[in-house]
Amino acid sequence: MAPENPIDLRLDRRQWLKTSATMVGASLLPPAAVEALPQAEPKAAAPPAAARAAASAGHFFTPAQHAMVDELTETIIPADSHSGGAKAAKVADTIDRHLSETYNESERSLWREGLRLLDSMSQHYNGKSFVEASPADRIAVLSVLAENSRMDDLPEVKFFNALKEATVEGYYTSKIGIHDELEYKGNRILKEYVGCDDQDAAKT
Amino acid sequence: MVPEVDLSKTYDAVVVGSGAAGGMAAHVLTSHGLKVLLLEAGKKLNIEQELRSMEWPYDNAYRGNLPPDQHSLSFNEYTIRRPPYGPGFEKAKQLHSYIGDSDYTKNIVVEERDNPYSGTNYAWVRARCLGGKTNIWGRLALRLSDYDFKAKSRDGFGEDWPISYSDIAPYYDKVDLYLGITGVKENLDYLPDSIFQRPTKLNCAEVTLKQSLQKMGRVLTQYRAGVTSDGLKHNKYRSRCYGRGACERKGGCDIHAAFDSPTGLIYPAMDTGNLTLRPNSTVREITVDPDTGKASGVHFIDSQTMKDYKVRARVVVVAASTLESARLLLLSKSRQYPNGIGNSSGHVGHNFCEHVMGPGIAGRVKDLVGKPPTLDDGRPGGFYLTRFRNLKEKHAKFIRGYGFEGSSGSAMFPRGTQVPGFGAAFKEEVRKNQGAFIGMGAFGEVLARYENHVDLDPVLKDKWGIPSLRFHYKFGDNEHKMCEDMKETAKEMFEEAGFEIIYVSDRILTEGWSIHELGTSRMGNDPKTSVLNQFEQSHDVKNLFVVDGSAFVSASCQNPTWSIMALCWRSCDYLADELKKGNL
Repeated sequence: MAPENPIDLRLDRRQWLKTSATMVGASLLPPAAVEALPQAEPKAAAPPAAARAAASAGHFFTPAQHAMVDELTETIIPADSHSGGAKAAKVADTIDRHLSETYNESERSLWREGLRLLDSMSQHYNGKSFVEASPADRIAVLSVLAENSRMDDLPEVKFFNALKEATVEGYYTSKIGIHDELEYKGNRILKEYVGCDDQDAAKT
Repeated sequence: MVPEVDLSKTYDAVVVGSGAAGGMAAHVLTSHGLKVLLLEAGKKLNIEQELRSMEWPYDNAYRGNLPPDQHSLSFNEYTIRRPPYGPGFEKAKQLHSYIGDSDYTKNIVVEERDNPYSGTNYAWVRARCLGGKTNIWGRLALRLSDYDFKAKSRDGFGEDWPISYSDIAPYYDKVDLYLGITGVKENLDYLPDSIFQRPTKLNCAEVTLKQSLQKMGRVLTQYRAGVTSDGLKHNKYRSRCYGRGACERKGGCDIHAAFDSPTGLIYPAMDTGNLTLRPNSTVREITVDPDTGKASGVHFIDSQTMKDYKVRARVVVVAASTLESARLLLLSKSRQYPNGIGNSSGHVGHNFCEHVMGPGIAGRVKDLVGKPPTLDDGRPGGFYLTRFRNLKEKHAKFIRGYGFEGSSGSAMFPRGTQVPGFGAAFKEEVRKNQGAFIGMGAFGEVLARYENHVDLDPVLKDKWGIPSLRFHYKFGDNEHKMCEDMKETAKEMFEEAGFEIIYVSDRILTEGWSIHELGTSRMGNDPKTSVLNQFEQSHDVKNLFVVDGSAFVSASCQNPTWSIMALCWRSCDYLADELKKGNL
């Protein structure tokens, strides 16, 4: 994957990750152990009252967060000439529903903290919030995280990985994903399964 | 509400458990005119409502996933946590084994915390509901052969079975014809053919692999599925398969083309007028007549009201699943049977075996990249790559064998979303490759060793106050060496077929993952080293039968459900005959 990248981020990226690691405290566990411990992430601060109220109403994201998740998911799976993207497929809504209902508080803190760190990254690189940044600038920021996806002791990297997984899950289970994008042929009553045309030839 | 059944009369037989074995026992015994009481610990679910086989993900509130206020256990949790369902999940409303990770399976498997267990790691999947695990089974329906029944004679390990293939073959035929099975004849002496209904076809990647394997002397065949592809004239509860394509998703078949015990066996048995069913009945003890030493019936608890009941029967048939059946025998202690009923050999709970799984491979077929989407999952299964180790030649590092289950092509949820990156290129990559993947995973025989066993935990009890099972069970050297070989041969076969290898996994999944637990009350001719005779009848107690996977002497590498049912049919024919003769 080679996104169009207007600025060379190589130097800056290293600086960013270094700073960020210092801020949250790098994990002392080897990566494999971190992966194996589902709850090994650092404890996040208690959610702000507004977020708690929103969660109890069945919506986890604030309107501003929802708008940001809309743009994040669209950057992961964008609309193209073939089909609509994650925004049209309302992927942010499925993530919102999941987060508002999950029993797993650490998942909620990951998203809260991740969104905050990502916006701050966008300010650092682009001088703008993620939502205000241009599509190319958004790609540039997410590329930093995608290309370092194994550095998941950092909450923003872990967040990006979770964001990508949730976007993939939400998009390819949506109407647009299944029917428009993949043109899935199944889940219908079949008289006969066609299989491989060469099958009889293959037998002899 | 549970319809109250008559517990004052003496039934000809009481059957404990309603899965593949319990359902088969109910079918065979009622067909002989016996009056049978079938007890199931769990509920009778509205199963079509649970399975919803054709529901689109976007019409489901959670896209078919487990609702996020619940949790299903992961490999990592099984590996690290003791017990796996312990602290950390207090806020989860329900906690399931790994298979309960979808909205369609969550109510079929048990709440782990109500059903605790202890000891060594084990991913124990339990389905307490009418039909048990047959509601969501993988459907691969294979026969055993004399390579399995006489394995000790071939390599010296363990024990031979007290039967040969010729003893059981007629009963495999009966199971095939009564329940329906799809597949292709291959004339293999180590994997005998069934009486197959119309087969499904292989797709193109699978044909490529099959042809390449032929050059290596190995066999790939259509998934032999316990699914009726032509329909069954004698069964009004089951439809034929219409290749609808939701079969890869975890969950069962809401038109019952895939065999399940309720529609395949239990409802037809009820139609005979000879079967009484009582769900919500957790059996905690097999009762004993102090004068004769024979089983007199069972003691059970209503799973919901917690009330105690006793019921009398002339014969007790245990079919609660391999591990639960062992637990029940061990729980049934009395003056006559201080170590548990039927356990004079001390072998109950021992010689516990199953299938080891985990090693597998995924590859890409370059010719299929970028081709228009095809329908590849409109069938009950992909392919089965049959055993090739220790048949004619002897492997230097391990005994016994393994087979691979696999599939390929397009699916409702695309394979290959694990590629790195994001954005337009990622999206196109997923789209272009969606039909080009092929993958398979191995199932290998775990040797039946005496030291691998379960017993009762002296302290821990379940929600009903019944002592829990404690595991003393680990894969051994033979399994580890076999798993190394699985990885190597998978790689070799994909390379030979010209597939681009995406990943090879040598990770061994937690003990129990295959859900093929077997052999805790093995059959044998010697009452000192076995629990049951060749008719799954207790050596010690003539009117006690254990007709599920417990009776297996060795695990073989073939999926066990079809064999469990064939053995059960044979045993129940014998039981009915002996009962009529007054021998029980």
